[in-house]
Amino acid sequence: MELLPQALADGVMLGAIYIIIAIAFSLVYGVMHVIDFAVGEWIMLGAFAGFHLNQRTHVDPFLLLPVVFVGFAALGYVLQPLIQRVLSGHKGNPLLMGLVFTFGLSLMFRGLAQTFFGFYSHSTPSRFSTGSFFFEKGGFFLTVSSVRLAGLVYAVVITGVLQWLLKHTDFGLGVRALAQHKDSAGLMGVNDRRTNAFVYAIYVGISAMTGVLIGTILSVSAKMGPEYTIFAFFVVVLAGMGYLAGVPAAAFLLGIIQSVFLVYLDPGYTLLAVFAVLYLILLVSPTGLFRKGV
Amino acid sequence: MRRALRWATLVALTVAVPAAGQEAREFFKVGVVAELSGDLATGGNVTKRGYDLWAQAVNEAGGIPVGAKKYPVKLFYADAQSNPSQGAAAAERLITQEHVDFILGPYASGVTIAVAPVVEKYKVPMITGSAESPMIWRQKFLYTFGTVPPVNFTGAAAIQTLAGLSPAPKTAVIFGSNDTFSKATAEAFEGAAKKAGIKVLKFNIVPAGQDLTPLMSAVKGMRPDLVAFGGHDEELIKLVKGMRQIDFAPSAILMHYGVTEPAFVEALKDDANQVFGGAVWTATTRTKSEILWKDAPSYEAAARKAFGVGADYTQAGCSAAGIAFQVALQKVGAPPPLSEAKRAELIKALEAVDVDTFYGKVKFATDGEFYHANVGLAPLTVQIQGGKVAVVGPKKDADAAAQYPMTPWSKR
Repeated sequence: MELLPQALADGVMLGAIYIIIAIAFSLVYGVMHVIDFAVGEWIMLGAFAGFHLNQRTHVDPFLLLPVVFVGFAALGYVLQPLIQRVLSGHKGNPLLMGLVFTFGLSLMFRGLAQTFFGFYSHSTPSRFSTGSFFFEKGGFFLTVSSVRLAGLVYAVVITGVLQWLLKHTDFGLGVRALAQHKDSAGLMGVNDRRTNAFVYAIYVGISAMTGVLIGTILSVSAKMGPEYTIFAFFVVVLAGMGYLAGVPAAAFLLGIIQSVFLVYLDPGYTLLAVFAVLYLILLVSPTGLFRKGV
Repeated sequence: MRRALRWATLVALTVAVPAAGQEAREFFKVGVVAELSGDLATGGNVTKRGYDLWAQAVNEAGGIPVGAKKYPVKLFYADAQSNPSQGAAAAERLITQEHVDFILGPYASGVTIAVAPVVEKYKVPMITGSAESPMIWRQKFLYTFGTVPPVNFTGAAAIQTLAGLSPAPKTAVIFGSNDTFSKATAEAFEGAAKKAGIKVLKFNIVPAGQDLTPLMSAVKGMRPDLVAFGGHDEELIKLVKGMRQIDFAPSAILMHYGVTEPAFVEALKDDANQVFGGAVWTATTRTKSEILWKDAPSYEAAARKAFGVGADYTQAGCSAAGIAFQVALQKVGAPPPLSEAKRAELIKALEAVDVDTFYGKVKFATDGEFYHANVGLAPLTVQIQGGKVAVVGPKKDADAAAQYPMTPWSKR
């Protein structure tokens, strides 16, 4: 029982990582209706960008986040018309073509990363990486890593900013309108191509910043992408496809299940537990935890 | 008529292509099955480097002497994609389409176990310069050999070294990733710990690649003297980072392969210091050889020249695999291409190999639980000290004293 506070705290920290992996992924699905299988590779490329920028400039990776965001958002903005073209094609199934296209992108990015960055794993150093807070009272104790706490703060900030952007700006109004009904939004003067390009740019930028953070908390390598793609997908499905507000709850739930299983039950069955919970919830509520997904 | 002609051409090509593959040639065709992409790409590419360096050195020396003539070697790669079934398919492709004379095997034990029945079926000899799981040797494949001793042999030695330190560790938490090699490593650690009188507080096999920091937070509360983990490169880096982040420093952290990989120190910098590992070769191992490289430092220098980084024991084991083939081929005295009968002779010659190399002695067991694994080497316990790999056990091979117990993270 004395391990419970630690298990819950670790679950929340793990959940924070899942939030930042999944939140922009959910946004892009909600608006563009594309399941981007390259999300893990955007995270990987962002992690490498953070690592190499840090090695060259010796600037803390947390301070590099805005630079990485701008660089990758620009890249996403340029790339989006290609995805739009695939999605708006008249032949075949656009949804399926979107899946195939982004899957192809992910393979290409992974191959290129291994060619250019090599096959070794790296780690991005940060001043936050070494500190931790330790609390002990009675039989209970709690250790909180400062870099993971910074990750939690980042997750809260990103979620807050996205919510504000969607709920309190004209751009957000346009995005929500497009998500609800593309044709009606167009009739109301929303430029779908430009809005989609901005949404994709925001998604790529946030995913790349997430990569910088993961490189600091965990590691950086060309092969890291698929693991994060899977978790992004889990979280978004559990939250309800395209339901942005459900992402934090779904991410925390997965994080806590994983942590409690690691601590109290057999760590070997952690992923099985995650799959089982996901399966059961979808069985009861196919549109996610809050029944608000697509 | 035209259709009949088309069919005739097709049949002629089908018949002619394999025949062409068996044409007399002036070089040995060597198949390489390695994990060049996927989760195990780091180890797979280290393996490839070892094979490449051997091929480069042997070709610079004019090739493998057979009778009065020397035959160069040409490597043909097939990517196992870190996947056992892809590895098996890759080996089959190399054998049936490229008609390779012999195969240099994969990095991972899981992939090797999948490839071994394929080389057995086609009677093509394979030496893996990396795979360490005892499961491979227990199956007694006639055509599969390995230059790295099994992990139940090497992993146990590291625990014995730690048990001899003062104050000796009394408790341990042991876990391994869920793959063939890592599981075998964790089991070897557990068996040796129990034998050495170290109480195992917790033993788990965990899903590969998972963030284990929550588990480490719980383990911290158990206050074990020793944390031992069987895993691969990136998992080891993530684990040490996690332990650093929660300020958890037991008396000793023990890992196995991966600690000696240059990337481990490069990624963790000072945090890599004092981590223990198991190995069978380092750049300072005292060896003497007359084949290709005269000793371990010469090999290390060649590796640095070729790749810009030093070599670990997997890379060295892979180059030694090439040397073992070289020695056996000289004994068989058969020029390329090798017929099935000559490949069977090659197996006999490999079983008789007993040679001193830069890597140490290569001698394959011909019976028992280590059947066809290299039993010529002594296991070493290593520790990262000042960013370099130091041998700390057994005493006769040690070039530094173990730094123990581990300095707390906050005092570094």
